[in-house]
Amino acid sequence: MGGFLDYIQGTSFLHRLNPLTKLLIAFLLCVACFICDRHLFVLGIIVLNLLLAGVAGKEVLLRSLNMLRALVKFSAFLFVIQILFVREGTALLHLPFGLVITDRGLSFSLLFVLRLFAATMPIGLMLSVTRMSDLSNVLVEKVGIPYQYTFALTTTLRFIPLFSQEMAGIMEAQTARGVEFDTKNFFKKIRLLMPLCVPLLISSVKKIDGAAVSTELRGFHLRNRNSGYKKYCLKGADAAALAMMACIMTCAVIL
Amino acid sequence: MHTPMIHIENLNFQYKQGQDFALKDISLDIAKGEFVGIIGSSGAGKTSFTCALNGMIPHHYAGDFYGAVTINGMDTVEVKPVELSRFIGSVFQDVDAQMVATIVEDEILFGLENFQIPHEEIEERIQTALETIGISHLRNRTISTLSGGQKQKVAIAAMIALRPQLLILDEPTGELDPAGSRQIFEMLRILNQQYHMTIVIVEQKIMLLCEYVRRLLVFHEGRIEYDGQTRMVLEHKEELEKLGVNVPRMITLADTLKKRGCHIDTVPVSIAEAKKMVEEVLIHA
Amino acid sequence: MLKFNNVCFSYQQDTLIHDVSFHIQEGEFAALIGENGAGKSTISKLCNGLLKPKTGDVLIQGQNTKTTKSSMLARSVGYLFQNPDRQICQNTIRGEIMFGLSYILKDQALCEKRCDRIIEQFQFRGEQDPFHLSRGERQRVALASILVCEPKLLILDEPTTGLDYRECVQIMELVRELHRAGTTIMMITHDMELVQDYADRVLVLNEGRLIGDGACEEVMTDMALLRRASVLPAQIPMLAMELGTTFHGVYSVNDMAERIHELQQRRA
Repeated sequence: MGGFLDYIQGTSFLHRLNPLTKLLIAFLLCVACFICDRHLFVLGIIVLNLLLAGVAGKEVLLRSLNMLRALVKFSAFLFVIQILFVREGTALLHLPFGLVITDRGLSFSLLFVLRLFAATMPIGLMLSVTRMSDLSNVLVEKVGIPYQYTFALTTTLRFIPLFSQEMAGIMEAQTARGVEFDTKNFFKKIRLLMPLCVPLLISSVKKIDGAAVSTELRGFHLRNRNSGYKKYCLKGADAAALAMMACIMTCAVIL
Repeated sequence: MHTPMIHIENLNFQYKQGQDFALKDISLDIAKGEFVGIIGSSGAGKTSFTCALNGMIPHHYAGDFYGAVTINGMDTVEVKPVELSRFIGSVFQDVDAQMVATIVEDEILFGLENFQIPHEEIEERIQTALETIGISHLRNRTISTLSGGQKQKVAIAAMIALRPQLLILDEPTGELDPAGSRQIFEMLRILNQQYHMTIVIVEQKIMLLCEYVRRLLVFHEGRIEYDGQTRMVLEHKEELEKLGVNVPRMITLADTLKKRGCHIDTVPVSIAEAKKMVEEVLIHA
Repeated sequence: MLKFNNVCFSYQQDTLIHDVSFHIQEGEFAALIGENGAGKSTISKLCNGLLKPKTGDVLIQGQNTKTTKSSMLARSVGYLFQNPDRQICQNTIRGEIMFGLSYILKDQALCEKRCDRIIEQFQFRGEQDPFHLSRGERQRVALASILVCEPKLLILDEPTTGLDYRECVQIMELVRELHRAGTTIMMITHDMELVQDYADRVLVLNEGRLIGDGACEEVMTDMALLRRASVLPAQIPMLAMELGTTFHGVYSVNDMAERIHELQQRRA
């Protein structure tokens, strides 16, 4: 999971855009695919996403494709459920137990799943081409969100891999003394997780206390809105990107 | 007379009522530019002492505080730790917990932004800090991809960008291998000798400590049992061992030779000095 | 007891262990040394089945780790991790010791008996909360909860990290006693003095390959080998190397003092 949130270094056009622009574009692309009912339009957004990923670099494109693959696997189940429960429209296929697949059902489920992809991918793409710190800085500088909140968010995201490493280490230690974490039984595994909470909690609290001390000593409370060194100006490229986005939104509304 | 940078008078500290005092009757002076090492068994009060220096005791860790700790004329009880941090840098053992950013550059920027360093100065400070530590090539790296040693260097670079006069380190090489540990010590030597930074470092790796620090404080059960020049403190081999200090083999060798009647002027604190010692013993055979 | 036959191991695209083979006899005390990243932890985790070899076999008392679950291997292999806090999960020492044992031994009465015995041996107070103890004490609790399972092979991963000298000696003397009683020990460490004082045999790892394997004294005085492995030698052997060929083979403080004495006699 952490892998999808990481920044990939690069100097492409997308990388150089203002983080606020990227955030807005990602957000608006999500909104666009919900406004419009056309399958082709939503598909178009997915394709646009992949094209942009391609512009940003080979690694970014690879990440987007992997994300798409994961989403397809995840949504297969949802697709089947949706399609079985929509009963309006002309029947295409009759199944046992009185279930039926209709053309409306097919269309609806397809749209649902396509929207899922089209809404998630821009966010993933944005996180791949934008540094977390740039994102939080621009939110503080331009949008006026208090620094404490963005710092809390970035710190949480930073700690996730640290805690998951601790957890893996704890599970290893317990397996090595005979606790059967390497069982195939899912329910057994869940029950075994209980005693792990204690060492995980203790190490987490220690880490967090250490982080709090360190942060405080480095002047966290002295900060104000203008402390940020990096400034994020909106340039011509941002204007162009936002103009393009406006066109896409118009299309979404018209179509 | 020169006022010492750190002046401690009758410091006594107890975390909780009824518990043993973590620090007992500590009185000492540390002058500007000193390179002081602190050793002692666990629970001896070393970490509590460093917390008393940077203000974490009594501001973050509550307890009963008696006596006075004055740093650069400021009383640590009356001044907030963040104000003390304007000229005191602290580096801890848990490398990951003390990081605040995802990228090295942002890590160094954090303190600079918070302490309202003029924006014109910031770029130069970042560059100098990275160069001094020798990690300019890591400027745009993601911190989670660095090794433990590199992370500690980043932590120290982030501290020295703030131009501290005093650097306090609590077992910074705890999680590093011998090569990484030596690199950190080399870097501290440069900071002390070239930049005249006062350094107080707590360490278990006694061999390295002895090679680099000039003054040694030996803690035991909250008190300072020995305080003096490294060599002179190390001459008390047996007492140190009783206090739970791992005396380097060089010192044990010097002691063994002394017991056999050889004349040893000063105890060796490095392989090079030990070599000289053996050669001199053979000359005076 | 422990056999590595042409073991290779990779993680994702990197080969971490290249064709490593060695055989540790029952009752030996082996130390595994090498710089960070050489593969020491990987080897130790291959020893108790936490990692399975890609090619080759790891045999523990004849059992192949590929076909046995790691949690089953825990009955014969005890693994002490560097950080005791990753293992300690109960709020009394007794509870902690019983916890691991209960997975291995189903006889409750026998468990209690063994637990009592080990609490007495370590002089613990059974009802104490491990988290209120110092790191050294917690390391002892972790060790006790492993030893209560009476493993034949004990793996120690940097057992003295974070411990002060007294705590190091306490743990290591316990390990020495176990060794004398017949337990096979494999210890990973950076501390060369520790290797000198306790190990009989030393395995040297470099970039995933075994580049040295021999008696402790031989390996610790082989400067070329240690240099190849980027390992800093122990103080006395290093001093001996600096002093030249007249001090060849000097290994301990006493050796050094004796050699100096001899040379003094010769010159006199």
